[in-house]
Amino acid sequence: METKRVYEALFLVDSALAASQWDHVMGIIHKILDRAEARVISVRKWDERKLAYEIAGKSRGTYILAYFECGSSKIRPLERDVQLSEEILRVLVVRTDRMTQADMEKPTPAMVVHVDSDAAVQPAAEAVEEAPVQETVE
Amino acid sequence: MKKTAPNKNSNRKRKITMTIREQTQCRFCREKKKFIDYKDIDTLCKLLTNRGKIFSRKRSGNCAGCQRKVNQAIKRARFMGLLPFTA
Repeated sequence: METKRVYEALFLVDSALAASQWDHVMGIIHKILDRAEARVISVRKWDERKLAYEIAGKSRGTYILAYFECGSSKIRPLERDVQLSEEILRVLVVRTDRMTQADMEKPTPAMVVHVDSDAAVQPAAEAVEEAPVQETVE
Repeated sequence: MKKTAPNKNSNRKRKITMTIREQTQCRFCREKKKFIDYKDIDTLCKLLTNRGKIFSRKRSGNCAGCQRKVNQAIKRARFMGLLPFTA
């Protein structure tokens, strides 16, 4: 009997593609997880950010975080599926033995930024207004 | 009086050495973290130089076990394009 474990996978997708065809991207990820016979726990957007270095000619990427339970022998085929896929640039699958439930349900940076951006709209607008005033003084 | 003076000084020195102590545990042991998340870029950034190199154990103050976990986490983050290999 093969041991089943809970894994964490972080998928990297081009942000232009993720912005225009979000459902298509999520469909591909679900298909890949289905092929690995995984029991999906959660799939959500982690963050959209500038990459530290260019990957496949792309400088911005969207990260999608997935938690799923599957057999250990299915991980290698899953990574191979990602390599053959043209939409998904990279994936990192990690075991979650030492993670707690709270770690898994922690809010992603995308959520945190979204909440902060609503509050930070007004100060940013003020800063823009202040800048021309300084120029006139000089 | 003259004989007691040096004794007082020595006592003072001892007190100072007792009160000023360096951190005995590394930053992750203090927080009692069981694992170091590769997605937690803010903490990992503090353990890198401007050029993206990993700080030595001596510099970062990590214990051996935590330094190994940090190394693993930084290398995972680099693979995913979250941290630079070089800058």
